[in-house]
Amino acid sequence: MTRALLLATALSIALPAAAAEKGDAAAGKLKVYTCAGCHGITGWKNPYPNYHVPKIGGQNYDYLVAALTAYKKGERSHPTMRAQGESLSEEDIRDIATYLSGLAQ
Amino acid sequence: MTLRIFAPLALAMLVASTPAFAKGDAEAGKAKAAPCQACHAQDGNAGIDPQYPRLAGQYADYLARALHEYKDGGRKNPIMAGFAGTLSDQDIEDLAAYFSTLEGGKLTDLHGHVGGD
Repeated sequence: MTRALLLATALSIALPAAAAEKGDAAAGKLKVYTCAGCHGITGWKNPYPNYHVPKIGGQNYDYLVAALTAYKKGERSHPTMRAQGESLSEEDIRDIATYLSGLAQ
Repeated sequence: MTLRIFAPLALAMLVASTPAFAKGDAEAGKAKAAPCQACHAQDGNAGIDPQYPRLAGQYADYLARALHEYKDGGRKNPIMAGFAGTLSDQDIEDLAAYFSTLEGGKLTDLHGHVGGD
């Protein structure tokens, strides 16, 4: 019961803050032009090592922000995505994540 | 000269065509998925909390790659490092197979979703 109360309190603090930080979906739609070079082709594969480039349309907003920020900070190793992340501002990341998360099927 | 170009290419093709692990078994993955589902949800769509990614319908080889990176430190995430660290290569293949084959996924690629398309 205490644990449930703590969780509820934590959620009530965390959720409005996250929602308030969302970006501009229309701006995001223009900014995903570069992303589509790899993420816009059904079945496209990363060459070495060889695996499918992930589906990112419809992915959750907070996760997309966290993932792009991690590439930007060098906390994920993929060289191409690190370069992309470094080129993005925090506003770009919020705009892109807002647009992509809105594509959920 | 031809050999100098051809040899690395042949090697690359050999490496690329050799699967690193046995193919994933979705049924076996289902039996191992309970810890994942606590955050990513029973249906793999992570509708509980948007900080967790949706997994349902994602490419299996990408999911496997991500789990290996969490395990070996290529991705730095304390929660996922803890879970992925307990998984064998076969566990990773099985879990990736299971989540990739879940119906009702909300993920899509960006085909037709780009400004100016």
